[in-house]
Amino acid sequence: MAGNRRGFVLIAMSVTMLLLLAVMGLAFDVGRIYIARNEAQVFTDAAAMTAAQKLDGTKAGLERAKEAVAHVPMRWNLGTQEFRGIIVEFSADGRKWETEPRDPPSVTAVRVTAPDNSVEITFLRAVGGPNNFVVPAHAAAMANPVRLTE
Amino acid sequence: MKRNQRGHAMIELAVCAAVMVSCLAGTFQFGYTFYIYNQLVTAVGNGGRYAAMRTYRAAGDVDLEKGRAAIRNMVVYGDARPSGQAPVVANLRPDQVYVEWVKDKAGAPTAVHVEIRNYPVNAVFKTVSLDGRPGVEFPFVGRYAPAEREP
Repeated sequence: MAGNRRGFVLIAMSVTMLLLLAVMGLAFDVGRIYIARNEAQVFTDAAAMTAAQKLDGTKAGLERAKEAVAHVPMRWNLGTQEFRGIIVEFSADGRKWETEPRDPPSVTAVRVTAPDNSVEITFLRAVGGPNNFVVPAHAAAMANPVRLTE
Repeated sequence: MKRNQRGHAMIELAVCAAVMVSCLAGTFQFGYTFYIYNQLVTAVGNGGRYAAMRTYRAAGDVDLEKGRAAIRNMVVYGDARPSGQAPVVANLRPDQVYVEWVKDKAGAPTAVHVEIRNYPVNAVFKTVSLDGRPGVEFPFVGRYAPAEREP
Protein backbone atom coordinates (compact mmCIF):
# COMPACT_ATOMS: atom_id res chain seq x y z
CA MET A 1 0.00 0.00 0.00
CA ALA A 2 2.75 2.42 1.01
CA GLY A 3 4.69 1.43 -2.11
CA ASN A 4 1.64 2.21 -4.23
CA ARG A 5 1.24 5.61 -2.64
CA ARG A 6 4.83 6.60 -3.30
CA GLY A 7 4.92 8.83 -6.39
CA PHE A 8 1.24 9.73 -6.23
CA VAL A 9 1.92 13.33 -5.26
CA LEU A 10 4.37 13.64 -8.14
CA ILE A 11 1.77 12.47 -10.65
CA ALA A 12 -0.98 14.58 -9.09
CA MET A 13 1.31 17.61 -9.07
CA SER A 14 2.29 17.06 -12.72
CA VAL A 15 -1.34 16.86 -13.83
CA THR A 16 -2.23 19.89 -11.73
CA MET A 17 0.71 21.87 -13.10
CA LEU A 18 -0.42 21.11 -16.65
CA LEU A 19 -3.91 22.34 -15.82
CA LEU A 20 -2.42 25.36 -14.11
CA LEU A 21 -0.30 26.13 -17.17
CA ALA A 22 -3.41 25.92 -19.33
CA VAL A 23 -5.24 28.35 -17.03
CA MET A 24 -2.24 30.69 -16.98
CA GLY A 25 -2.09 30.42 -20.76
CA LEU A 26 -5.75 31.34 -21.02
CA ALA A 27 -5.25 34.42 -18.86
CA PHE A 28 -1.83 35.53 -20.15
CA ASP A 29 -1.63 34.44 -23.79
CA VAL A 30 -5.27 34.80 -24.77
CA GLY A 31 -5.35 38.15 -22.94
CA ARG A 32 -2.41 39.38 -25.03
CA ILE A 33 -3.99 38.05 -28.22
CA TYR A 34 -7.19 40.00 -27.55
CA ILE A 35 -5.23 43.17 -26.77
CA ALA A 36 -3.13 42.79 -29.95
CA ARG A 37 -6.28 42.28 -32.01
CA ASN A 38 -7.87 45.38 -30.49
CA GLU A 39 -4.71 47.48 -30.92
CA ALA A 40 -4.38 46.37 -34.56
CA GLN A 41 -8.03 47.20 -35.24
CA VAL A 42 -7.75 50.69 -33.74
CA PHE A 43 -4.52 51.24 -35.72
CA THR A 44 -6.06 50.17 -39.04
CA ASP A 45 -9.12 52.38 -38.35
CA ALA A 46 -6.87 55.40 -37.82
CA ALA A 47 -4.56 54.51 -40.72
CA ALA A 48 -7.46 54.05 -43.15
CA MET A 49 -8.90 57.43 -42.15
CA THR A 50 -5.47 59.03 -42.54
CA ALA A 51 -4.99 57.51 -45.99
CA ALA A 52 -8.51 58.41 -47.16
CA GLN A 53 -7.84 62.02 -46.22
CA LYS A 54 -4.93 62.16 -48.70
CA LEU A 55 -6.89 60.89 -51.70
CA ASP A 56 -7.29 63.67 -54.26
CA GLY A 57 -7.72 61.79 -57.52
CA THR A 58 -4.04 61.89 -58.46
CA LYS A 59 -1.25 59.31 -58.40
CA ALA A 60 0.67 61.61 -56.05
CA GLY A 61 -2.33 61.47 -53.70
CA LEU A 62 -2.10 57.69 -53.60
CA GLU A 63 1.60 57.92 -52.74
CA ARG A 64 0.86 60.49 -50.03
CA ALA A 65 -1.75 58.11 -48.60
CA LYS A 66 0.81 55.28 -48.38
CA GLU A 67 3.36 57.64 -46.87
CA ALA A 68 0.86 58.89 -44.27
CA VAL A 69 0.00 55.33 -43.21
CA ALA A 70 3.69 54.56 -42.70
CA HIS A 71 3.87 57.51 -40.28
CA VAL A 72 0.84 56.78 -38.10
CA PRO A 73 2.51 56.78 -34.66
CA MET A 74 0.67 53.86 -33.12
CA ARG A 75 2.13 50.64 -31.72
CA TRP A 76 0.91 47.24 -30.68
CA ASN A 77 1.87 44.49 -28.21
CA LEU A 78 0.94 46.66 -25.22
CA GLY A 79 2.13 49.72 -27.11
CA THR A 80 5.72 48.50 -27.51
CA GLN A 81 6.08 47.32 -31.14
CA GLU A 82 5.73 49.09 -34.47
CA PHE A 83 3.31 47.69 -37.04
CA ARG A 84 5.14 46.10 -39.96
CA GLY A 85 4.21 44.89 -43.42
CA ILE A 86 1.24 47.26 -43.68
CA ILE A 87 -0.73 46.82 -46.91
CA VAL A 88 -2.53 49.83 -48.39
CA GLU A 89 -5.06 49.09 -51.13
CA PHE A 90 -7.33 51.33 -53.13
CA SER A 91 -10.69 50.79 -54.74
CA ALA A 92 -13.16 52.57 -56.98
CA ASP A 93 -16.19 50.54 -55.98
CA GLY A 94 -15.33 48.96 -52.60
CA ARG A 95 -15.16 45.47 -54.15
CA LYS A 96 -11.97 45.23 -56.17
CA TRP A 97 -8.88 46.33 -54.24
CA GLU A 98 -5.49 47.15 -55.80
CA THR A 99 -2.20 48.32 -54.36
CA GLU A 100 -1.34 50.22 -57.57
CA PRO A 101 -4.60 51.34 -59.18
CA ARG A 102 -4.37 52.17 -62.91
CA ASP A 103 -6.98 54.90 -62.74
CA PRO A 104 -6.26 57.17 -59.71
CA PRO A 105 -9.17 59.60 -60.37
CA SER A 106 -11.65 56.76 -59.90
CA VAL A 107 -10.34 55.79 -56.45
CA THR A 108 -12.89 56.53 -53.71
CA ALA A 109 -11.89 54.15 -50.92
CA VAL A 110 -8.79 52.88 -49.19
CA ARG A 111 -8.25 49.73 -47.18
CA VAL A 112 -5.41 49.24 -44.70
CA THR A 113 -4.37 45.77 -43.53
CA ALA A 114 -1.98 45.00 -40.69
CA PRO A 115 -1.25 41.34 -41.48
CA ASP A 116 1.83 40.41 -39.46
CA ASN A 117 1.01 40.98 -35.79
CA SER A 118 2.40 37.77 -34.40
CA VAL A 119 1.86 37.33 -30.66
CA GLU A 120 4.44 35.03 -29.08
CA ILE A 121 2.72 32.37 -27.00
CA THR A 122 4.32 31.83 -23.58
CA PHE A 123 2.29 29.31 -21.56
CA LEU A 124 -0.15 27.63 -23.92
CA ARG A 125 2.69 26.16 -25.98
CA ALA A 126 3.61 24.02 -22.96
CA VAL A 127 0.24 22.31 -23.24
CA GLY A 128 0.28 21.85 -27.01
CA GLY A 129 -0.52 25.37 -28.18
CA PRO A 130 1.21 27.11 -31.10
CA ASN A 131 4.46 29.10 -30.75
CA ASN A 132 2.91 32.20 -32.30
CA PHE A 133 -0.57 33.46 -33.02
CA VAL A 134 -1.10 35.98 -35.81
CA VAL A 135 -3.84 38.57 -35.32
CA PRO A 136 -4.40 40.44 -38.58
CA ALA A 137 -6.75 43.41 -38.84
CA HIS A 138 -8.07 45.57 -41.61
CA ALA A 139 -10.22 48.66 -42.03
CA ALA A 140 -11.55 50.62 -44.99
CA ALA A 141 -12.43 54.30 -45.28
CA MET A 142 -14.05 56.47 -47.93
CA ALA A 143 -12.42 59.58 -49.39
CA ASN A 144 -15.55 61.67 -48.73
CA PRO A 145 -17.26 60.27 -45.64
CA VAL A 146 -20.74 61.30 -44.59
CA ARG A 147 -20.50 63.70 -41.64
CA LEU A 148 -22.45 62.33 -38.68
CA THR A 149 -20.71 64.10 -35.79
CA GLU A 150 -21.03 67.81 -34.98
CA MET B 1 5.74 5.07 9.54
CA LYS B 2 2.18 6.45 9.29
CA ARG B 3 3.15 9.43 11.44
CA ASN B 4 6.08 10.12 9.11
CA GLN B 5 3.78 9.97 6.12
CA ARG B 6 1.37 12.39 7.74
CA GLY B 7 4.26 14.85 8.16
CA HIS B 8 5.29 14.37 4.56
CA ALA B 9 1.82 15.11 3.34
CA MET B 10 1.77 18.39 5.27
CA ILE B 11 5.11 19.46 3.87
CA GLU B 12 4.04 18.47 0.35
CA LEU B 13 0.79 20.37 0.77
CA ALA B 14 2.65 23.43 2.04
CA VAL B 15 5.11 23.42 -0.87
CA CYS B 16 2.45 22.70 -3.50
CA ALA B 17 0.05 25.26 -2.04
CA ALA B 18 2.76 27.94 -2.04
CA VAL B 19 3.57 27.27 -5.70
CA MET B 20 -0.06 27.13 -6.77
CA VAL B 21 -1.25 30.14 -4.81
CA SER B 22 1.57 32.26 -6.25
CA CYS B 23 0.81 30.96 -9.77
CA LEU B 24 -2.90 31.70 -9.38
CA ALA B 25 -2.17 35.13 -7.89
CA GLY B 26 0.10 35.94 -10.83
CA THR B 27 -2.48 34.63 -13.28
CA PHE B 28 -5.18 36.79 -11.74
CA GLN B 29 -2.91 39.82 -11.69
CA PHE B 30 -1.90 39.55 -15.36
CA GLY B 31 -5.37 38.52 -16.46
CA TYR B 32 -7.08 41.44 -14.74
CA THR B 33 -4.44 43.95 -15.91
CA PHE B 34 -4.79 42.74 -19.51
CA TYR B 35 -8.57 42.87 -19.24
CA ILE B 36 -8.46 46.50 -18.09
CA TYR B 37 -5.82 47.39 -20.70
CA ASN B 38 -8.01 45.91 -23.44
CA GLN B 39 -10.98 47.96 -22.24
CA LEU B 40 -8.79 51.09 -22.25
CA VAL B 41 -7.65 50.39 -25.85
CA THR B 42 -11.31 50.23 -26.90
CA ALA B 43 -12.15 53.37 -24.92
CA VAL B 44 -9.32 55.52 -26.34
CA GLY B 45 -10.06 54.13 -29.83
CA ASN B 46 -13.68 55.25 -29.56
CA GLY B 47 -12.65 58.60 -28.07
CA GLY B 48 -10.02 59.12 -30.78
CA ARG B 49 -12.50 58.38 -33.56
CA TYR B 50 -14.98 60.84 -32.02
CA ALA B 51 -12.24 63.49 -31.61
CA ALA B 52 -11.19 63.05 -35.25
CA MET B 53 -14.69 63.80 -36.52
CA ARG B 54 -15.73 66.44 -34.01
CA THR B 55 -15.87 70.10 -35.09
CA TYR B 56 -12.83 72.00 -33.86
CA ARG B 57 -14.08 75.23 -32.29
CA ALA B 58 -11.40 77.57 -30.97
CA ALA B 59 -12.87 81.04 -30.46
CA GLY B 60 -11.36 81.01 -26.97
CA ASP B 61 -9.57 78.79 -24.46
CA VAL B 62 -12.95 77.99 -22.87
CA ASP B 63 -14.17 76.51 -26.16
CA LEU B 64 -11.03 74.40 -26.58
CA GLU B 65 -11.43 73.14 -23.02
CA LYS B 66 -15.09 72.28 -23.65
CA GLY B 67 -14.02 70.31 -26.72
CA ARG B 68 -11.41 68.46 -24.69
CA ALA B 69 -13.97 67.74 -21.97
CA ALA B 70 -16.38 66.24 -24.54
CA ILE B 71 -13.63 63.98 -25.91
CA ARG B 72 -12.59 62.94 -22.39
CA ASN B 73 -16.20 62.14 -21.57
CA MET B 74 -16.45 60.04 -24.74
CA VAL B 75 -13.42 58.02 -23.61
CA VAL B 76 -14.56 57.61 -20.01
CA TYR B 77 -18.35 57.29 -20.34
CA GLY B 78 -18.80 56.48 -24.04
CA ASP B 79 -20.88 59.66 -24.25
CA ALA B 80 -19.77 63.26 -24.89
CA ARG B 81 -22.52 64.54 -22.58
CA PRO B 82 -22.86 61.93 -19.86
CA SER B 83 -25.92 61.87 -17.64
CA GLY B 84 -24.75 60.04 -14.58
CA GLN B 85 -23.62 56.77 -16.17
CA ALA B 86 -20.72 54.69 -14.84
CA PRO B 87 -17.31 54.84 -16.53
CA VAL B 88 -16.73 52.18 -19.20
CA VAL B 89 -13.48 51.20 -17.41
CA ALA B 90 -13.43 50.78 -13.63
CA ASN B 91 -12.43 53.97 -11.76
CA LEU B 92 -11.36 55.84 -14.91
CA ARG B 93 -11.78 59.61 -14.55
CA PRO B 94 -11.84 62.29 -17.27
CA ASP B 95 -8.71 63.98 -15.84
CA GLN B 96 -6.76 60.77 -16.62
CA VAL B 97 -7.40 61.21 -20.34
CA TYR B 98 -4.92 63.40 -22.22
CA VAL B 99 -6.17 65.08 -25.39
CA GLU B 100 -4.05 67.19 -27.71
CA TRP B 101 -4.34 68.27 -31.33
CA VAL B 102 -1.40 68.08 -33.69
CA LYS B 103 -1.46 71.33 -35.68
CA ASP B 104 0.05 72.62 -38.90
CA LYS B 105 1.98 75.91 -39.20
CA ALA B 106 -1.26 77.87 -39.59
CA GLY B 107 -2.62 76.41 -36.35
CA ALA B 108 -5.21 74.16 -37.99
CA PRO B 109 -5.49 70.66 -36.49
CA THR B 110 -4.15 67.83 -38.65
CA ALA B 111 -4.50 65.01 -36.11
CA VAL B 112 -5.70 64.42 -32.58
CA HIS B 113 -3.83 62.46 -29.95
CA VAL B 114 -5.66 60.75 -27.09
CA GLU B 115 -3.94 58.74 -24.36
CA ILE B 116 -4.36 57.51 -20.81
CA ARG B 117 -2.21 59.06 -18.09
CA ASN B 118 -1.66 58.02 -14.48
CA TYR B 119 -4.31 55.33 -14.40
CA PRO B 120 -3.66 52.75 -11.66
CA VAL B 121 -4.80 49.19 -12.33
CA ASN B 122 -5.47 47.72 -8.90
CA ALA B 123 -4.98 43.98 -9.40
CA VAL B 124 -5.18 43.24 -5.62
CA PHE B 125 -1.65 41.78 -5.33
CA LYS B 126 0.03 44.65 -7.14
CA THR B 127 -0.98 48.00 -8.61
CA VAL B 128 0.28 48.81 -12.09
CA SER B 129 0.20 52.42 -13.26
CA LEU B 130 -0.53 53.07 -16.92
CA ASP B 131 0.99 56.35 -18.07
CA GLY B 132 0.99 57.26 -21.77
CA ARG B 133 -0.45 53.88 -22.73
CA PRO B 134 -2.70 53.02 -24.40
CA GLY B 135 -2.73 55.97 -26.79
CA VAL B 136 -4.08 56.65 -30.26
CA GLU B 137 -3.60 59.27 -32.95
CA PHE B 138 -6.36 59.81 -35.49
CA PRO B 139 -6.24 62.25 -38.43
CA PHE B 140 -8.46 65.27 -37.96
CA VAL B 141 -11.28 64.97 -40.48
CA GLY B 142 -13.84 67.16 -38.74
CA ARG B 143 -14.94 70.70 -39.53
CA TYR B 144 -12.38 73.41 -38.72
CA ALA B 145 -14.19 76.37 -37.18
CA PRO B 146 -11.60 78.49 -35.34
CA ALA B 147 -13.97 81.43 -34.85
CA GLU B 148 -16.95 79.43 -33.54
CA ARG B 149 -17.89 79.01 -29.91
CA GLU B 150 -18.86 75.71 -28.30
CA PRO B 151 -22.63 75.52 -27.66
